Amino acid sequence: MSAQIPISTFKPYRGEKSRLARAYDYLILVLALFLFIGSFHLHFALTVGDWDFWVDWKDRQWWPLVTPLIGITFPAAVQAVLWDKFRLPLGATLCVAALLIGTWVTRVFAYHYWNYFPINMVLPATMIPGALVLDTLLMLTNSLTITSIFGGGAFALLFYPTNWPIFGMFHQPVEVANSQLTVADLFGFQYIRTGMPEYLRIIERGTLRTYGQYATPLSAFCSALLCSLMYPLWWHIGKWFASTRYLSKI
Amino acid sequence: MKTHFKTWLLALVALSVLSGLPISAAQAHGEKALEPFIRMRTIQWYDVQWSTQTFKVNDEVSVSGKFHVAEDWPVSVPKPEASFLNISTPGPVLIRTERYLNGKPWTNSVALQPGGDYDFKVVMKGRLPGRYHIHPFFNLKDAGQVMGPGVWLEIGGNPGDFSNTIKTINGEMIDMESFGFANGVFWHLFWGALAAAWLLWWVRRPLFISRYRMLDAGLEHELITPQDKWIAKVVLVSVPVLVLVLNAVTANRYPDAIPLQAGLDQILPLPAQVNAGTVNVDTLKAEYNIAQRAMVLQVKVDNRSQGAVRIGEFASSNVHFLNADVANSGYNPGKDDVSNNGLSLDNASPIEPGEQRTVTIEVRDAAWESERLDGLIRDADSRLGGLLFLYDDMLGKRYISSISAAVIPKFN
Repeated sequence: MSAQIPISTFKPYRGEKSRLARAYDYLILVLALFLFIGSFHLHFALTVGDWDFWVDWKDRQWWPLVTPLIGITFPAAVQAVLWDKFRLPLGATLCVAALLIGTWVTRVFAYHYWNYFPINMVLPATMIPGALVLDTLLMLTNSLTITSIFGGGAFALLFYPTNWPIFGMFHQPVEVANSQLTVADLFGFQYIRTGMPEYLRIIERGTLRTYGQYATPLSAFCSALLCSLMYPLWWHIGKWFASTRYLSKI
Repeated sequence: MKTHFKTWLLALVALSVLSGLPISAAQAHGEKALEPFIRMRTIQWYDVQWSTQTFKVNDEVSVSGKFHVAEDWPVSVPKPEASFLNISTPGPVLIRTERYLNGKPWTNSVALQPGGDYDFKVVMKGRLPGRYHIHPFFNLKDAGQVMGPGVWLEIGGNPGDFSNTIKTINGEMIDMESFGFANGVFWHLFWGALAAAWLLWWVRRPLFISRYRMLDAGLEHELITPQDKWIAKVVLVSVPVLVLVLNAVTANRYPDAIPLQAGLDQILPLPAQVNAGTVNVDTLKAEYNIAQRAMVLQVKVDNRSQGAVRIGEFASSNVHFLNADVANSGYNPGKDDVSNNGLSLDNASPIEPGEQRTVTIEVRDAAWESERLDGLIRDADSRLGGLLFLYDDMLGKRYISSISAAVIPKFN
């Protein structure tokens, strides 16, 4: 552990020291931004993957279950560092914003310009409202337990309604080939993906059929439960990475 | 230092020279990569034709043909309970507008029946100009991609001319190229602006070292001000409320929204086209002579038709081995087809109606090697499969048999 500075002897940095500390802030911020853009985006692409890539994968059951569950990982870990060591309540928002920057860059350059998909077919989802709730709740409660239960839950529960204004219009019905499809399904049929046959979509599969047609809320509450467990797990991973064991004097 | 400089200079010159060499892009789709026994004994394509190979952006092009689902389906390959007739393209340079199986339009995946016969048609529209190598192919769940014959397509015109407008059930005309894009960008910017505001609120003040020292000194109460707390409370309440309101507004705007459609299409096979019972072919033995690149098949032909028939072609994995003696074989190779006159018989005389004859067929050509079909003898499943075409020149009929047999390698 680092040596604690007694309040009576604490002297804030002034002059050159203050300017250097501020320069260090900006340096770390820029590095952190690129680090999270790269690492969180890679993590997200490898785990959420197709559910976030394609408009015809964003279903009622798996998309709201998987996306927040994976999406809460880096925010929890980074919050553990930034809140625990600096009392900065911005870890979740920073991570999700970095993820979105990376995602948009990929969608525009890799999917659209490189592989010719229309961008509207590969629009990313957003988790910013959930991240803001996570940050503010942690700040106001200063409690891992409360943030895990209510923040993790809110992060999952807010995901689907946050994104419905973006993706709801893609669920309008269209008559194609003597059957009813959504506009999103039609994107998948028309815009040819050689390596993505329709049957690979993991959508609308599961045992939520016995609850009428209310699959989304059930899926979201299931995700909320899992997120409230995933949050403290990744919080501790973040804390493990944020050791100040070798910081003796600052 | 001088030595290092020379090394780096040499490397730089070498790179410059290499970068100036002509480079041709890879244009294959791994069609020869799949193990031969899967290519030969799963989807057996025939009569595949393209409506045109040169067209412009917005013009329609279609590929149609037939395929037989082999009875001797490899035991190591999952049965085709979910299959998707796809088109191999380098991205959506074409869009698929219609697709038919046995005359029925279909959009999702389909269950195929081993032994079944199907005809297909896929209608596409040019989207991006260029020269592309395109195949129809089947994605088979848990098995891989079984390619149909490939062709080169030339798409001309201007990419800006492409349009793809469709009509929803509610009667709204939408442009698929731009639908929902501006709306999506708007909501991302909206939430992004809120996130940026929250981040800037904190970033504007001294951050890491200063806050770490203050926290370490027990000055936590100075790091989070009452104003910070007030703003956080506003965010904590207003953001969820806003999300729910916007969700309700959208739900009211699109009351007819439906879930993504995930059904499996069910389309029955056609009446038997292959192994239809009129001319039966039973494979007795198959040997592959490695040195001569020749497959020798011993088959027993039982001609129950009304006319004499002659063996005209053996086709497997999109390679056509033709019998040059059967002039009227009915197969006209396309300019991109892999075909040769490598098929010959020990007895070329026609097999008369009612006759049963054991015939030795030699199928000799370098295509066994160049198409990587000879790998069969080193596979875990070394059974051959393919379609044998027999022709009745008098009546102008064609009979097709799907044959299969274990292959014995001959090394000299």
